[in-house]
Amino acid sequence: MQESIKRRLLFWAFVGPLVFAFFVVVVVPFLWGIYYSFTEWNGIVRSQVEWVGLQNYIDLFEDEQFIYSFWFTARFAVVSVILINGIGFALALLVTQPLRTSHALRTVFFMPNLIGGLILGFVWQFIFIQVFSSLADLLNLEFFRGWLATPETGFWGLVILMTWQMAGYTMVIYIAALQSIPSDLLEAAEIDGSTLWSKTRHIIIPLVAPAFTINMFLMLSNSFKLYDQNLSLTNGGPFNSTQMLAMNIYNTAFQFDEMGSAQAKAVIFFLVVAVVSIIQVRMNKKREVEY
Amino acid sequence: MSSKKSIALLIALIVMCVPALWAGGAQESSESDAGEKVKVDIFQFKVEFKDQFTQLAEEYMKENPNVDLSIKTVGGGDDYGAALRSRFASGEEPAIFNVGGPQDVADWKQYLAPLNELDVTEKAFDGVLGGVTMEGKVYGLPYNQEGYGLIYNKAMFEKAGIDPAGITSYTKLEAAVKKLDSMKGELGIEAVFAFPAKETWVTGLHLSNAVLSQEFDNVNDAFNAKTVEYKYSEGFKKLVDLQNDYSVQPTLSLDYSRQVEQLFSGEKVALIQQGNWAYGSIAGVNEELASNIGFIPLSVEGGIGDRIPVGVPMYWGVNKQLDAEVVEAAKNFLNWMYTSETGKQYVLEEFKFIPAYKGYDVSKVSDPLARDILDFSARGKTLPWVFMGYPTGWGQNVLGVDIQKYVADKMSWDELTAHTTEEWEKARQ
Amino acid sequence: MTRKKRFLFLMETIGSAIGVVFFFPFYIMLINSFKTKPQIFQNTLNLPGGLEWSNYVKAFERLDFMQAFANSLFITAGSILLLVLFASMAGWKLVRTKTRLSSVIFFMFVSAILIPFQSVMLPLITIMGKLGFLNRLGLIFMYLGFGSSLSLFLYHGFVKSVPKELDEAAIIDGCSEFQLFRKVIFPILNPITLTVIILLTIWIWNDYLLPSLVINKEGMQTIPLQMFFFFGEYTKQWHLALAGLTLAIIPVIIFYFSAQKYIIRGVTQGAIK
Repeated sequence: MQESIKRRLLFWAFVGPLVFAFFVVVVVPFLWGIYYSFTEWNGIVRSQVEWVGLQNYIDLFEDEQFIYSFWFTARFAVVSVILINGIGFALALLVTQPLRTSHALRTVFFMPNLIGGLILGFVWQFIFIQVFSSLADLLNLEFFRGWLATPETGFWGLVILMTWQMAGYTMVIYIAALQSIPSDLLEAAEIDGSTLWSKTRHIIIPLVAPAFTINMFLMLSNSFKLYDQNLSLTNGGPFNSTQMLAMNIYNTAFQFDEMGSAQAKAVIFFLVVAVVSIIQVRMNKKREVEY
Repeated sequence: MSSKKSIALLIALIVMCVPALWAGGAQESSESDAGEKVKVDIFQFKVEFKDQFTQLAEEYMKENPNVDLSIKTVGGGDDYGAALRSRFASGEEPAIFNVGGPQDVADWKQYLAPLNELDVTEKAFDGVLGGVTMEGKVYGLPYNQEGYGLIYNKAMFEKAGIDPAGITSYTKLEAAVKKLDSMKGELGIEAVFAFPAKETWVTGLHLSNAVLSQEFDNVNDAFNAKTVEYKYSEGFKKLVDLQNDYSVQPTLSLDYSRQVEQLFSGEKVALIQQGNWAYGSIAGVNEELASNIGFIPLSVEGGIGDRIPVGVPMYWGVNKQLDAEVVEAAKNFLNWMYTSETGKQYVLEEFKFIPAYKGYDVSKVSDPLARDILDFSARGKTLPWVFMGYPTGWGQNVLGVDIQKYVADKMSWDELTAHTTEEWEKARQ
Repeated sequence: MTRKKRFLFLMETIGSAIGVVFFFPFYIMLINSFKTKPQIFQNTLNLPGGLEWSNYVKAFERLDFMQAFANSLFITAGSILLLVLFASMAGWKLVRTKTRLSSVIFFMFVSAILIPFQSVMLPLITIMGKLGFLNRLGLIFMYLGFGSSLSLFLYHGFVKSVPKELDEAAIIDGCSEFQLFRKVIFPILNPITLTVIILLTIWIWNDYLLPSLVINKEGMQTIPLQMFFFFGEYTKQWHLALAGLTLAIIPVIIFYFSAQKYIIRGVTQGAIK
């Protein structure tokens, strides 16, 4: 039996450290959080923690803002994912062409990703409100006035920000995928008289599909979890019309001091996103072509 | 591979590693315990004065070398409440922290040390301790006093021939606004007001306070109230409408910076609803203007028209759960800050606070907004700050948000009062 | 051939146009960081009249830049080192071990990507506080935990394309598992390692919320934490913040530029593999 014990020890030697950190930092707090979701607590250490069973969950169905935030976040996630991946892929196609400016463009498209969440939101807030009004004055176009003052401009403001930030990152992943397509395949297609569009459709997209799956999954979960940029760009306004889920959870916990309720929301949030992601990955996997 | 054995192995691994981590962690936290200094951690929210405050702490440490003061300020726009809870949850409890009013005192009761015996407590002005006194025990010390109203551009008022001292009722306020509006061209302004509907603390807390302080006698009254009557609902509505209709649009994305620093300091508007804290912002952009401004009241139709709400924005609390010597040192520092000569000089001249305590030479107060507040106080023309007694989150997240909906025509005023009342009552069951 | 040339020219033009749009926010940041506060309010679009270098000097001082930079570097590099090491090891082992336990572990990691930070914030801080494991070292450990999901996910996916024959060949040659991993497997993982490094750097270097809760000793703040002092209760010191932000981005841009060569090399190598 020495062989199998050795194998097991090796297994844990390799996997152990990561699992340990993950456990302490993610799993245990998450489980503890689930416990809190069945209680009523104001977040202060020595204060009373009262068990209320499923009451928090039941109340969620009547929490209009929570339901609204859910749909808003879902809409945002879908739109963003489509745009980010679409534009990221297009950019990847663009910079993998033999252009003189490829290198420079690659850098410029990726640079937005270097600025972090909160500050990025503030900078774009500055742009949407101040810079856009200067633009409105300069070009005399009403289109540029009043951004972030309405739910619609708030929504699109968030989408634009995310797309700007993340398109470059998805572009990098797509570039890697594109470059792993054997060139003989593409050459053969060109000899056969394919145009770029046809090559894209029939060769590139199917082979890049695994990258699509990964990207979509990551973008979807990132969009759902968005908080920093939401806070600094719109702070959920106007009148909470751009309040996304993570902000709703945070506010419930820290502005209304309802820890238990917030944790219940977090659990539901996690379950729904998990289901959505599983469906998304399954659907995409079916379309992948193994190379 | 039996999964049971693997899990056992997993647990064994975890158990083995914990002591190693503990040692590492303990080592890191012990580096600051060297020496016999008493360590007082201060966890506060006011970014605007943190540099001067640090300097003051250094002066104190010079005089008291056995005390080590460490100040942590919660960075901008962030939620102090969340940061404070996290701080306590992590076990790194501060010796001095901030509380806002009755709700905070009730929440943090187990941590707050009574401060009745301190010299500084006796020197506090009447009424400023109301919000932090429970059953005769005082649990907080005011930072300062602040007041707010409609800050007006004196030069523009002169040009328009309006006498600011004469604005003692809503009718007169409305007339003045209309007059300013008709003279937009000559005054060089875009609009009369810059209404920051985006900032829910300006609308949901301060503006509402101007009205609700005429309904609740004091902050404790509001804290204990099971409902809100909206005695002056019409007056409240009119103040919102007046500021919004005559303001630079759109107001829903207008924030403090735009309101104070860009529009008012750039002399593109004549009136803004703000408080004396705005002085620093205005002076930073337009020093000349900053010496030529003052307050007129937020007159409520049918109610009081000539008073300015003056109150305490935040209090210092002392954590009684720490070692006795730390608690003692914390109390001493706060006492020293507001009663010693060095401390008082800083409070007046460096922090530019309006003191909440007796024994200050208020002639030294230099900025016109603070002077105006002192003037209104001296004449007895003040209203209390009651918004610290609103249900948790109600002011900004219910009322402030609903005012935004009202401004966007998504809600009628009646719906607003109905909804906010409902939320108040729910919270106070 | 002219069709191809025309096509390329079209691509160049479109690319450059999009590039300008993408670069626009940086342009705004840069020009406004050289203006005084009143100037920013007057007009945000035009070039500054004179160069207000004092913004940069003040920002540098207020940010305690060198110290903050050192802290950010320590935390980012430390976390990434651990993550790359442990996640690659775990990723490889999990792929090669086709048992139920292995799949369960992987599934757990991946599903954790969906957990919003806000819901584990308080319990996490409580635990770490009780363990006395806060500030920089604790933060690195926490990043190890939080970053494990994504890193493992990426490594796992990549390892699947590394043929098992390689492992077997090395073992036949007499390698131990550790030697096999170190000499054979890990080098092959370079392309994904680089991707992981880039993604982690960007996330950890710019992270605000977690460090704000965990770092409570003076002199240990990271750059984003310091940056926050430009945004007060209601005031926003744009002239300083934008200068500070530019300062903060410079190291990341330098990093990205120098790493770029390796990235391209790595990615191409991966393609030829």
